[in-house]
Amino acid sequence: MNISVPNYRHVDEMRPWSDREHRLACVAVTPESPDVMTFTFRPDRSGLWFRYLPGQFVTLELPVGPEPVLRTYTLSSSPSRPYTVAVTVKAQAGSIGTRWMFDHLKPGMVLTAIGPLGDFSYVRHPGRKYLFISAGSGITPMMSMTRDLGDRSPDSDIAFVHCARTPDDIIFRAELEAKAREMENLSLGFVVRQAARGQLWSGLKGRIDKAKIALLAPDFLDRTVFCCGPEPFMATVRESLASAGFEMKNYHEETFQPVKPEPPVVVADPSGEAAPTKVTFAMSGKEGACEPGHTLLQAARAAGVRIGAACESGLCGTCKVMKLSGEVEMNHNGGILDDEIDEGYVLACCSRPKGDVEIEA
Amino acid sequence: MDLHSSVLRQLKNRREGFSLAQPFYIDPDYFKLDMETIWYRDWLFIGHDCEVPRAGNYFTAQIGDYPVVVVRGKDGAIRAFHNTCRHRGHRVCTSDRGASAKLVCPYHQWTYDLDGSLVFARQMGETFDKSEFGLKTVHCESVGGYVFVCLADEAPDFAPMRAAIEPYLKPHRLWEAKVAHRSTIIEKGNWKLVWENNRECYHCAGNHPELCRTYPEAPTATGVQGAKDDPFIAEHWARCEAAGLPSEFRMDPTGQFRVARMPLIQEAESYTLSGKPAVRRPLSADVPVSHVGTMLLFHYPTTWNHILGDHAISFRVLPLSAEETAVTTTWLVNKDAVEGVDYDLDTLTHVWTMTNDQDRAIVEENAFGIRSPAYEPGPYSLDHEGGVMQFVEWYSNFMVDRLQGREAPLSAVA
Repeated sequence: MNISVPNYRHVDEMRPWSDREHRLACVAVTPESPDVMTFTFRPDRSGLWFRYLPGQFVTLELPVGPEPVLRTYTLSSSPSRPYTVAVTVKAQAGSIGTRWMFDHLKPGMVLTAIGPLGDFSYVRHPGRKYLFISAGSGITPMMSMTRDLGDRSPDSDIAFVHCARTPDDIIFRAELEAKAREMENLSLGFVVRQAARGQLWSGLKGRIDKAKIALLAPDFLDRTVFCCGPEPFMATVRESLASAGFEMKNYHEETFQPVKPEPPVVVADPSGEAAPTKVTFAMSGKEGACEPGHTLLQAARAAGVRIGAACESGLCGTCKVMKLSGEVEMNHNGGILDDEIDEGYVLACCSRPKGDVEIEA
Repeated sequence: MDLHSSVLRQLKNRREGFSLAQPFYIDPDYFKLDMETIWYRDWLFIGHDCEVPRAGNYFTAQIGDYPVVVVRGKDGAIRAFHNTCRHRGHRVCTSDRGASAKLVCPYHQWTYDLDGSLVFARQMGETFDKSEFGLKTVHCESVGGYVFVCLADEAPDFAPMRAAIEPYLKPHRLWEAKVAHRSTIIEKGNWKLVWENNRECYHCAGNHPELCRTYPEAPTATGVQGAKDDPFIAEHWARCEAAGLPSEFRMDPTGQFRVARMPLIQEAESYTLSGKPAVRRPLSADVPVSHVGTMLLFHYPTTWNHILGDHAISFRVLPLSAEETAVTTTWLVNKDAVEGVDYDLDTLTHVWTMTNDQDRAIVEENAFGIRSPAYEPGPYSLDHEGGVMQFVEWYSNFMVDRLQGREAPLSAVA
């Protein structure tokens, strides 16, 4: 990597980063709280800027072993500062990908990334006033949106509510307190489960509930709500809001599963009933699970089955495989002939199982 | 004296009606000059439309130093490209033929659309402009089911050839035919020996017992002179033209290509031992009569052809070296004809499989003899070898004029 002294260029003289062409080079590793690190990246070439919406996520390909794993993280950085992106991640017990990042990811290393993607953004669901309510590392999309609003329109009205285990576990606390001085209409409300003996804590304690929401954001009924955290946390927030007569079309949430080793890519699933499907790899004699919204290629990689791929966008056709049974939804970009589809071939990079699938790989 | 001058002098001073001097048949430098002067500048028959029936179908060919790929696009057009990746030069299509939604270089998966444009190249940096790195095009024309390519930067005008041969080819509907069989043989002889052997039937009686059952040995049928004075041929033309089939002998003024419809002997309808059709289903519904003989199409330097009522046979000549030539023979039948039902493959291919092999042996023995230090150019038969003389005349004229930097002029023989 030889981009240490970039020429100064204005953003309008630069090109947007693209996951098809460019990779991410790690430039900083920053401790945030006892188990949380921020990893900051810039493009692996100079002259590029990042175009994304605050609240979106990226999928990182992490070289944990012979087969890389894919892990999805919301960006904590703000697109108003477009020269770098950052993810802020918490190391959970039993984690593979995040543990690898903690142990091995250092400035100078280059990763493949997919994205940014996602609809969890005030840009997609704008409101007059916001309630950002999060728990644990569910704070990252909220931070991205708050930083962005702070730069773009510092008078934005945000009630920022965050729940953490202890005061020490509040990620970005100092930065948020500084922001609250700059942003007249940003109010901070922290809720901790417990404080250490002798530790000064003047905020609320316990778990989130309707009373605490009403206390920290009295006008919550007028606000557009973004919620991110563990499912039980979000369920409590949902029920609290609904029982208070909140208009739920103004409620948006992002799945956040801290203990699950493989967080799935968040995809539109109107039924809300998506469950992993089984993928059988006939030639390798292996079986794997395909998370909802994942492609056959992702499932193959997760199962340690090698399928050659290049563009990963349904164009080059390198990942063509014979589908032996099952149904997939394939959105290719012209990388496969109709005749080949008729013969039963699919492109693994852009085929998503609609049920259990068996492929010749 | 440099090679150009030496070749030029030899051609200008050659003895008319005699074969060429030894180096024209064996010398690698002369061969290279042939390639540069003729092969890389003229239109070359490369294959048939029906070999790429659908979008994404392609076939490849090696023309001297140039690997080429012919592909049918999504718009139905047939195009030809230099088959060398714009990344590091790897051949993009490495199979003889196939079907692919995109042309993908196997080395680093640079991906080209069927129109040759580069649509994907991984991680090439922000200054990389894909539009500058499409596959280089090769001139490509399709006429009557025949695909021709030209490697030159500026191709000779294709229109005169199209105008001359399209009416003859059209009734046979070869663009929608089916390849029943294809064979490629390597003849260990210079490409001009392959042509010289083809251009006369002086040798047929002694060498081609199968072919001679149906094909006339008369020089009027094979050669370039006297056809109109042959009452048998004149009657054939009259009958065919009355049925709407252009038939009379026509040759381009440069002598490079010609067409004519020639009768087979007696009641023969096809190149079979019995003379009976090899294929039950006629090649084309647009040919309304039987006994149409064989439509002969010649185009120097790559192709001679026989188009019959029941099938068609094309021949493609591609030089490999000064002393090796690949000859590809393709048997075409009606697209709906079913092997084993409408035709028996052995019956269909027997005569020309034997004839090709006999010709290969002749060419190779001829090449052996020419390698002798004792070889000197010999006289052609005026009665039987007018076709050979015309070929050598064409070759000599094209070479001389191009080596002198002029356009090819009219041939004196026509």
